[in-house]
Amino acid sequence: MWAKIAWRLFWRELGRGELWVIAFALFLAVISVVSLTGITEGVKAALSQRSAQFNAADKVLRSSQPFDNDLIAQAQQQGLVVAQQMQFDSMLFAADTMQLATIKAVSSSYPLRGQLLLEAAEYTGGGAQVALSPGQVYFEARLFDLLKVSVGDDIELGMSRLKVGGVIVNEPDAPLSVFGGAPRVLMHLDDVAATQIVQPGSRIGYRYLFAGDSLSLAQFEQDITPGLTSHQRWQEMDRQSAIGSAIERAERFLLLAGLLGIILAACAAAVAANRYSQRHTQAVAVIKALGSTNAQIRLLYGSHLLLVVLFSMSIGMLAGQLAITAAQWGIGLYLPDYRPVFSWRPLWLGGLTCIICAALFAARPMWRLSQTPAIEVLKQPAAQGKLDKLQLLLGAGAIWALMWLFSSEFVLSLGLFALCAVFAGLLIGAATILLKIAKPVAAGQSSARRLALANLRRRLWANSFQLITFSLAIFLALLLYFLRAELIEQWQRQIPQGAPNQFLVNITATQQSTLNNFAAEHQLTLGQYFPVVRGRLTSINDEQLLQEASKEDRSEQRVGVGRELNLTWLADLPDNNQLLSGAWFSKDSRSEVSVEQELAERLQVKLGDTLAFSIGGQAVSATVSSIRKVDWNSLQPNFYMILSADILAEFPATYINAFYLDSERQLLLNQLARLLPTVSVISVDNIIKQVNDIIAQVSVALSFILLIICCAAVLVLVAQVQATLEQREQELAILRTLGARYPFLRNAMLLEFALLGAMAGLFATLLAETMLLIVQQRVFELPFAPHYTLWWLGPTLGVTLVTLMGWWQLRRLLQIPGAQLMRRVLQG
Amino acid sequence: MKTPEVHIKAVNLAKSVKVADGSLTILHDISLTINRGETVAIVGASGSGKSTLLSLLAGLDVPTTGQVMLGGQPLHQLSEDQRAAIRASSVGFVFQSFLLLPSLTALENVSLPAELAGIRDARARGLALLQQVGLAERADFYPSQLSGGEQQRVAIARAFITGPAVLFADEPSANLDTTTGRKVEDLLFKLNAEQGTTLILVTHNSELAQRCQRQYRMHAGRFISNEPKELSDVG
Repeated sequence: MWAKIAWRLFWRELGRGELWVIAFALFLAVISVVSLTGITEGVKAALSQRSAQFNAADKVLRSSQPFDNDLIAQAQQQGLVVAQQMQFDSMLFAADTMQLATIKAVSSSYPLRGQLLLEAAEYTGGGAQVALSPGQVYFEARLFDLLKVSVGDDIELGMSRLKVGGVIVNEPDAPLSVFGGAPRVLMHLDDVAATQIVQPGSRIGYRYLFAGDSLSLAQFEQDITPGLTSHQRWQEMDRQSAIGSAIERAERFLLLAGLLGIILAACAAAVAANRYSQRHTQAVAVIKALGSTNAQIRLLYGSHLLLVVLFSMSIGMLAGQLAITAAQWGIGLYLPDYRPVFSWRPLWLGGLTCIICAALFAARPMWRLSQTPAIEVLKQPAAQGKLDKLQLLLGAGAIWALMWLFSSEFVLSLGLFALCAVFAGLLIGAATILLKIAKPVAAGQSSARRLALANLRRRLWANSFQLITFSLAIFLALLLYFLRAELIEQWQRQIPQGAPNQFLVNITATQQSTLNNFAAEHQLTLGQYFPVVRGRLTSINDEQLLQEASKEDRSEQRVGVGRELNLTWLADLPDNNQLLSGAWFSKDSRSEVSVEQELAERLQVKLGDTLAFSIGGQAVSATVSSIRKVDWNSLQPNFYMILSADILAEFPATYINAFYLDSERQLLLNQLARLLPTVSVISVDNIIKQVNDIIAQVSVALSFILLIICCAAVLVLVAQVQATLEQREQELAILRTLGARYPFLRNAMLLEFALLGAMAGLFATLLAETMLLIVQQRVFELPFAPHYTLWWLGPTLGVTLVTLMGWWQLRRLLQIPGAQLMRRVLQG
Repeated sequence: MKTPEVHIKAVNLAKSVKVADGSLTILHDISLTINRGETVAIVGASGSGKSTLLSLLAGLDVPTTGQVMLGGQPLHQLSEDQRAAIRASSVGFVFQSFLLLPSLTALENVSLPAELAGIRDARARGLALLQQVGLAERADFYPSQLSGGEQQRVAIARAFITGPAVLFADEPSANLDTTTGRKVEDLLFKLNAEQGTTLILVTHNSELAQRCQRQYRMHAGRFISNEPKELSDVG
């Protein structure tokens, strides 16, 4: 019987629209969480799949020790596919010439991700595609010229003779460094033993490549990581790249946005639940007077909340999953190899959020409702509920818990929460002062204005919560709008239109004029020539550096960089570098070096230290005169060490340059390769395209989130205005009875909402500007610039939104004839 | 002559409420006895404490001191849920502002107490009662679609659906115009007489009070007189 009554009342309440605001608020919270987490996971999956392609595997374990077959067997047992790879530098001999090359030997299963493209020719597009087979080597194009060999010729590598099979067209995990280094050679792993190059003490890098489903991979990583030696380490999948960084920022932004959306939705749910509870106080009292117990009332109204939660949760999950599917489809358009992923995480996280919101924001008013004493039937219903301090406390606690849950950052969530609390306090204070000022001003005003101000004053004191939520809603919409615009602009600025997309490395001094002529002839804009000299850092303040860390070596000795560095000398500090300490070189600088900040930290180098380098077998030393911060995301040549010109000028250098080439003129690259065969051209076109594609994709996601936030903000406004409907109805009835005319009431009401909106808009603007400053600098690491648009947009938005919302909901009340209105009020 | 059965008995009832600076006694030392089937009016001006007394006699609230017995049950000693059980089985109410649930139809409002009490033919009973109050054709109307008089008739039907032993009516015609008010009063007394219910009526209207067998007059939380009336006077 009870279930029947509960069910009937539920549908009736739904029909009367009482429960919709709560349901819609919870729905918004669920869809925000599900879609945000899902889309972020989708984008992350796209990024990780992309980096898997650039690493030729899902996971790469690097080692300086020979392959461990037990490890490989274990991986295979756990359902993973494995490939092996060795890399070392060695001399290649062909007839009379020899050349140092970087040799990569791979097993037959290589690559596990991405595509290896080899052609039986000396340049790209010159022959048929072939597969890597034992007994053959494949070259980077410039090596044919350097070694003066052709396809089919023999070369010697260690003790072996191998046949030149062709050119490497695409090597998925080739280093993307614009510095290039020694020319690359690819051979089969089976041929390595015969070369006898691998001897004790040889500097050889071993790599295990693994691929499989993410669960098996994670399990395998977890199983073997504790047993790894100091010679073995997991390779970082690229987070330093421009894409990685863009995604990371987007992730933070989405997280922040999602959080704010949830808070707004939760506020709307709380306000709506409060109103629901208030409006049903008398009904509960009646049912109790008719003989129902507290438990029965809890059952009745608890089941309403439960049904609303279940309804909102399922619809929210469904809509969120649809948004995820749409986003994954969109990502698939940009990244053709993208494999969509399905995860339960967004769904359970959405469900959990819904339960937290319902339990901590809506359950308390419902509980209070069930506690209504039966005696209330004999009392006049209160138009305005009392402020429930426990509810406020629960709500505040829930907001913080949600912030923590979603950011996983204790300090950030606490800081953001504290800021919101301070803001609320300030707002109440400011509103008090403003209205005190308004009182004498109102004395000389028309009666409609006086009434508007009087209403504002009274209602603000009774419910300052309303102003806070209005301001919060407008503030969040503004914040998100500006951050989104800023983020996208920053990304686009990072890779501006016409940014160099072709890098030329290994240019000798004598080739510069040929290159300049070629550029002039084809109207290409060359950039600055960066000189490069390769050298090894050998000691710091006369302390010899270890070139590689080993387990046995427990000494305090510092470990060096482990490879040759590209050293340069420059007169001016590059644009994307920022001096952190010390001074940049002057004309008189002698034997000085500027060190990149992260490397300086790792090597524990400070200003005034003396660094010794071995360049071409010759020892030179320099004093650290400055520490620089480098923007590694910029697609520009970046250097760890920049030396003063006096040191490097004597050494033979090669140069780096770059230019922009549009996609229609890509064939020019072949002409350039023929003109300057020893110069390597590294195209970053693909990277730029992918960055732009992902930015476009993420921008769509951001707009979607902004839409959700705006919906939540509007919902808060609706819920808030609705919460005051009963009180307004009473006042209107009285004013009408006293003879107030429609235009007077309309003007007073519009003015009241406009003033409220203006105040809320102004506060929101102030807060948004403050938050933009903090978030820009702390979270996104972007420079701060004031937002002039914000200062007119905020108050305008406040006035427009709040007035429209108020008018939309109250216009019907104004049109009800006075007698009817009075009867409604009297009948409760 | 058969000794009348005591239905409601109050002894030295007092009620105090907390106010900002201490407590305020709104009911002082009230004692009364009401027999089964009797009609009693509690009369007084606004704020005299008559509604508070009604709430104590009906078990909606408990006294600060004193005893109140309803059908032999000590309401002052019972928990809220136990009092609710008594209300469900033997008490009916008619309120000044009708207090119908706006989301239920007239029939659903009338049937609700029977449904809450687990009575199987609640709907049929509801329809029969609506017929008795002359609103059968409005059974599917919502309260907002009914006039004030019609709403109070629905409320009266609701009050009688569980066949209560006692009916409490709080200013049943105060929100209605004189003619409608009179009709509603007639209906209330008619149904009451038919069902033999004990009626306790709270009003400030002496004319209405005159229709009851006995009247208790209240002023400032105390009885000022108890005037028995001849049974034949009851209209």
